[in-house]
Amino acid sequence: MSGCKKALTMILAFALSITTLAGCQSGSQSISSAAKSESPNQPIVLKHWFWPDSDMHTQVMQSMVDDFNATNGKNIKVELEIHPWDGGQYSQDLFTAAMGGGAPDTAGFKLTSTPLFTANHLLEPLDSYIDSWEDKDDIQDTLYKTLRSVTKDDNLYLMPWNTQILYVYYRPSMFQAAGIDIPKTYEEFLQDCRKLTRDTNGDGKTDVYGYGIRGSKGGQEPWGSFIYARGGSFDNLTSDASIQGMQDFIDLFQDGCAPPSAPNDGFNEIIANFQSGLTAMTIQHIGTSVNMVEKFGDDVGAFAFPDSPQGRWTSMGDTETVMFSSSKNKEAAFEWMSYLATGAGQKTWCVKTGNVPVSKTVQQMPEIQNNRFMKISIEGAPFAGILPVLDTTTDWINNTWPATIQAALLGKITAKEAMEQLDKALYSK
Amino acid sequence: MKKEKLYIWPYLLIAPALFIVAAVVFVPVANAILMSFQSYDLRRPREIVFIGLANYIEVFHDPIFWGSLLRTALWVIFGVGFQFLFGFILANFLNKSFKGRGIIRSVSLIPWVTPGVLIGLMWRWIYDGSYGVLNDLLKKVGLIDMPIPFLAQESTVMPSVIVTIIWQGIPFFALMLLAGLQGVPAELYEAADIDGANGAQKLFRITIPSIKNTIFVTTLLRIIWVANSVDVIFSMTGGGPAYASQTLSVYIFNKANSLNLGYSSTMSLLLTLLLLVVAVPYLKSMFRNQEG
Repeated sequence: MSGCKKALTMILAFALSITTLAGCQSGSQSISSAAKSESPNQPIVLKHWFWPDSDMHTQVMQSMVDDFNATNGKNIKVELEIHPWDGGQYSQDLFTAAMGGGAPDTAGFKLTSTPLFTANHLLEPLDSYIDSWEDKDDIQDTLYKTLRSVTKDDNLYLMPWNTQILYVYYRPSMFQAAGIDIPKTYEEFLQDCRKLTRDTNGDGKTDVYGYGIRGSKGGQEPWGSFIYARGGSFDNLTSDASIQGMQDFIDLFQDGCAPPSAPNDGFNEIIANFQSGLTAMTIQHIGTSVNMVEKFGDDVGAFAFPDSPQGRWTSMGDTETVMFSSSKNKEAAFEWMSYLATGAGQKTWCVKTGNVPVSKTVQQMPEIQNNRFMKISIEGAPFAGILPVLDTTTDWINNTWPATIQAALLGKITAKEAMEQLDKALYSK
Repeated sequence: MKKEKLYIWPYLLIAPALFIVAAVVFVPVANAILMSFQSYDLRRPREIVFIGLANYIEVFHDPIFWGSLLRTALWVIFGVGFQFLFGFILANFLNKSFKGRGIIRSVSLIPWVTPGVLIGLMWRWIYDGSYGVLNDLLKKVGLIDMPIPFLAQESTVMPSVIVTIIWQGIPFFALMLLAGLQGVPAELYEAADIDGANGAQKLFRITIPSIKNTIFVTTLLRIIWVANSVDVIFSMTGGGPAYASQTLSVYIFNKANSLNLGYSSTMSLLLTLLLLVVAVPYLKSMFRNQEG
C-alpha cells in the first residue's frame, strides 16, 4: 500500500514538473508552428497590431484584412489584434510585448517611437524590400526621407501608411450666433475664442466655451500651434516667443474660454464636449470627421490653424507600419504592408476613414479630391510638422507634458517655468 | 538511513510549487534589487551600467517622490479608515435578521467584485466636470450653480479618488467583519442585557474585543493592498492634474511605463520597506496565532 502511495505521489510530482516544463517550452512550440505555417498547405499567418480611433475604423480594417486574405494569392493570412491608442499607451504596450518576446509580425506605428524600438533592435530595416518594390515611386520621396531621418543609422524602418493633419473643427451655427466669421489670423482666433464663450440662456453662467483645450495626454499636438504662432519652436522652448505662446494657452483657460475640466481632458472629453455643444471649436484631425458629420450634418466645419506673422505650425499626425525583426515571415509581412501603403488597402482606408493618403494614385481619386475635410488637411500640409524625435520624446509626451501643462493651467507655475521644465525634460538626459 | 529517505518526500512534493514561486516571485524581486543599482533605462539600452546608490540619492532629492509619499499616506489613512468605519456599520446591519438580507448581502459585494479599472472609468465619468451625474445631482438639489471639475482641480481630486477607493473597499471589510460578528456567541449579549448594559457598552466591551483579530488582520491586509493600488487612480486621473493625485505606486508605475526601470525599481524597494513596517507585525501576529 505504501509502495502504491509512493508511486502515485511520484506520478503526480512528475506530472506537475512536466506542466512547468511545458510552460517553459511554449516559445519553441510557437516557433515550430510558425515554421510549419510555411509549408504549402498551411497558410502563412501574420499577426498585425492596430489601434482604431472609432468602431468604424475597426470594421474598415477588418474588411481590409478579409479582402487581403482572400486576394493575396500567396496563402498569407493576416490576423488582426486590436489595441487602444489610449493617449500613446499603445506604443508602450507594443514595446513591452516586443521586449517580452511577443512582438507581432507587423504593426501600426508612430514615428516618435522609432528611437526606442531601434535602440533595442526590434524593427527590421525595410530598404531592401522597398528598393525592389514596384510601387516604390507611388509614394513621395520626401516622405521616405522624413521617415529615414528619425534614426541615426540611415536605415528606413517605417513604411508610410497615412497622415492626419490637425485642423480646427468649428460649429458654424455658433459662429453665426456670435456674429463672427472664420478667423483669418492667430490674433483673430484668440479673440474668437473669447467671443464664442457665451451665456446662451441668460442665467449668468457660461454655457458655451470658445475652445476645447486638451490638457491631458496627446494635447501637445494642438498646443504646438500656439507656440509657433508667436514665433516660438520646439527647438527653443525657452525663448520669449515660445513662452508667449504658452501664456496665450494658459490665458484661454484662466479667462474661462475653455471648460473647467480642461486640465484633465483627453481625446474622449474634447470630442464629447464639442459634440454636446459645450465647446465651439476644438483641434483634431480628419479621423473624427465622419463621426462629426454623422452628428451635425452641415453644422460642423473646419479651417486650418490660422496664420500669424511670427509663424505657423500644425501637427502632422503620422501613421506608419513596421515589420518586427522577430517575424518569421518577412516577405509575407512586406506583402501586407505594401497592400496598406499603395494597394487596395490604401484606397479603402483613406476613402472610408478620411485619412490623408500617402499613395499618389489614391490622392488623385475623386473620392479624396471632393472631401471638404481632406481639402483642409491638404491646406495644412505645407506648415505641418512633427515633434522632435528623440529618445526622451515618448516619456515627454506621456508624462512630462501633461503634468507640466496641468500645473501651468492651474496656476501652480508660470508660463516661463513650465517651458523651462518642458525644455529640460525633452533635451537633457 | 531509511528515515532520511522518507524525509525527502515532502520536499520533493513541494518542489514544483517552490520552483514556480521562485520563478515568478523571487527572481523578479532579485532582479528589481539589481536594477535599483543600475542606470536601467530601456530608452538607452547601451548605457545600462552599475551606478551604485545614485538612484537612491536621486529619489531622496526628488520632490515628486516626497509629494507622492505624502499622498500615499493620506490615501491609506483616509481610504482604509473610512472603509473600516463604513464596512463595520454595514457588517452590523447585515448581521441583523430582516427580510431581503440575502439579496442585500449579495448586492453589497458588487463594488468589491468589480475590476479596479472599470471602477476607475465609471467614477471618472461620475465626477466628470461637464456631464457627470454627481454634478447633475448637486445642481438639481441646489447645492451648486456651476459644475465642479472634481478631477481637474487640485483641491478636489484627492478627496474624489479617496471616495472611490472607500466605495470599492467597504464590502471587503463588511464581509470579513460579518464573518467575525457571526462567531460572537449570542449568550454574551444576553448576559449583557441581563446586567443592563447599553448599546455602546455592548459594542466596546463585547463586539469589538471579540472580533479584534479579524479587524487587525483585515485592516493590515487592506493597508498593504491600498498602498499598492494603481488601477483606480491611474484610470481616473493618471496621477494628475499636475501630480495632485499621484501616489507612490502610481509614480512607480508611471516611471516604469516610461521605461526607467532602474529608478522605478528603487522606489518600489523603498515602498516595500515602508510596507514591511506594516507587514511584519501582521506576519508576527499570524505566526503567534498559529503557534497558539
